[in-house]
Amino acid sequence: MNSLNKRLSAEKRFQAYGLFAVALSMFFVLILMWKIFSTGSGAFVRTTIEANVFFNPDFIQVNQNSLEKELYRASYVALADEVVRQNHPKLNEEQFIKVREMYTRKFDYQLRDYLLDNPDKIGQSIIMKITASSDLDQIVKGNYPRDVPEAQRKINDYQLSVLDKLTSEGKVSSVFNFWFFTKGDSRDPETAGIWGAVMGSLYALIICFSFAFPIGLLASVYLEEFVKPGKVTDIIEVNINNLAAVPSIVFGLLGLGMLIGVIGLPYQVPLVGGLVLGFMTLPTIIIASRASLRSVPPSIREGALAVGATKMQTVFHHVIPLSLPGTLTGTIIGMAQALGETAPLLMIGMVAFVMEIPGGPLDPATGLPSQIYLWSESAERGFLEKTSAGIMLLLLFLIIMNTAAVLIRRRLEVKW
Amino acid sequence: MVEQVNSFAIKTKNVSVHYGNKMAIDDVTINFTKNDVTSLIGPSGCGKSTFLRCLNRMNDVIDSCKVQGEFLLNGVTDIYGDSIQVETLREKIGMVFQKPNPFPKSIFENVAYGPKIHGLASTQSELNDIVMESLNRAGLYDEVKDRMDDIATGLSGGQQQRLCIARAIAIRPEIILMDEPCSALDPIATARIEELINELRENYTIIIVTHSMSQASRISQRTAFFHLGKLIEHGDTSKIFTKPDKEQTNDYITGRFG
Repeated sequence: MNSLNKRLSAEKRFQAYGLFAVALSMFFVLILMWKIFSTGSGAFVRTTIEANVFFNPDFIQVNQNSLEKELYRASYVALADEVVRQNHPKLNEEQFIKVREMYTRKFDYQLRDYLLDNPDKIGQSIIMKITASSDLDQIVKGNYPRDVPEAQRKINDYQLSVLDKLTSEGKVSSVFNFWFFTKGDSRDPETAGIWGAVMGSLYALIICFSFAFPIGLLASVYLEEFVKPGKVTDIIEVNINNLAAVPSIVFGLLGLGMLIGVIGLPYQVPLVGGLVLGFMTLPTIIIASRASLRSVPPSIREGALAVGATKMQTVFHHVIPLSLPGTLTGTIIGMAQALGETAPLLMIGMVAFVMEIPGGPLDPATGLPSQIYLWSESAERGFLEKTSAGIMLLLLFLIIMNTAAVLIRRRLEVKW
Repeated sequence: MVEQVNSFAIKTKNVSVHYGNKMAIDDVTINFTKNDVTSLIGPSGCGKSTFLRCLNRMNDVIDSCKVQGEFLLNGVTDIYGDSIQVETLREKIGMVFQKPNPFPKSIFENVAYGPKIHGLASTQSELNDIVMESLNRAGLYDEVKDRMDDIATGLSGGQQQRLCIARAIAIRPEIILMDEPCSALDPIATARIEELINELRENYTIIIVTHSMSQASRISQRTAFFHLGKLIEHGDTSKIFTKPDKEQTNDYITGRFG
């Protein structure tokens, strides 16, 4: 009886340890999430300053009949300065420079984009919400302290007084930052977006899937169903398992040396990135696919063979369709892993500053993780929140992919 | 009893089977008469299933399995010879397994699969006819006619096994091999299958491996007793079960061993 009590209390202790382990890991996950969300949520809003904009046709030298090309080339930089002067009258040159700094440097692009969408506004006066500079944005969001000496602030006393005046006039407001989801990278945090990196990663993943899935499927079907087990297959098996554990940077080196160096594919394009991620995912797909082929009961193969199906018909009509849920699950999990891989992208140059949204797998691009890496290296506070927001987006994609893997498994799995 | 050459569905001579170095079948010579049910009985591990699977070359997939001896289909075609491909052979010799193994597809698809891959039906209505007729013969049609598109693995065990029989006869074989087809079924489902085997005898030669001696005596006209890879005795069921020639056979059927 005494020893039974001992055993029971041992079990209780074990359960307590287990609970503690789970709680501790959940605690760290929560801290991570809290940190990312509290830092990153700022990236989804941006501060704007209301300004009266007069699209003076004489000033920008276009009129309502101008072609789009002419509208595109009009002198918006000068117009931007003019807007600042009109909204803040009686500035001396020094003050003007300071006030101009409060608005984004991409003021002119905002004016241009608006006019391209609404060419009928030429010659009219409108109220526009002009994006504030990142430093002002950070002050408004409270990320930069105001109560420190002027020398330690990015926003000087004069700019603060102008800001306070604008705030009291109700001209400062926060809007949802669509730009973060629609624009490419930028030198200025307030206009930097993640979409270029998302598209880069998307193209890379498409290439990765179309390269690794068919090859992985064929290899696993051949190894599992057709080839006779022997020394050679043992060696191949060991190698595949080995490759699955090779650090991803090695695959990056392979891509750099072989795809770019020998074959001569271009640097920093999603095509190469996708192929490299494909090399990396291939062993995972083969292992998952072989496991799920093995889980198809032999009785199904016998049933098909017994009605006179050839081996190939047996495999393609019955075994592969039944193993597909497992194969797809493994593939998606492998691709989710590939999506988060940074090292191979660094090796093949998908870590450069790219402003344009890539239009195809042969355009220079970054990927999501390398964009996050790029931003994390920037000194400006504005990029810090972009970094966290990028991580949030990456985590979101990972959650979507892993959920899809679970759903596919549940939906397609055959009950015996 | 005078036996004509062409009255045998399968003739075998001096059959030996090895798994690696282990002998599974030792010099078995046996002929199977047409349109009879022949039961292969014997204790577990006696080689009766191995022997059955040699008849439609299902052992081909096992690498370590080596089959020697002569197998003749209808007295002329060498089963292991070059003159017949294994797929064609299995079209003529169908098989039903111990555990019902319907494909996890619709009931219709299960039966239609064989005719489809062998091109037995040129139109959809012809295919429908084959499926209907096969299910009818397997005594399953009335039970499933309203749910032909339901997945076959949702049927009961007995229904699944009859579906497998329907799948086997849909490609119009001459011979049906059955490897303990009732061992996973309850007594009522077993009785249905036995009834069915009796009906199928009119059109097919049936070779069945069974563990149940009462089943062998109920359904078969001929019985072969295997022990330790050897064919001990083969003859009319009535004779084997009443006055067998060998003492070993007598001991087995009276339950003294096995």
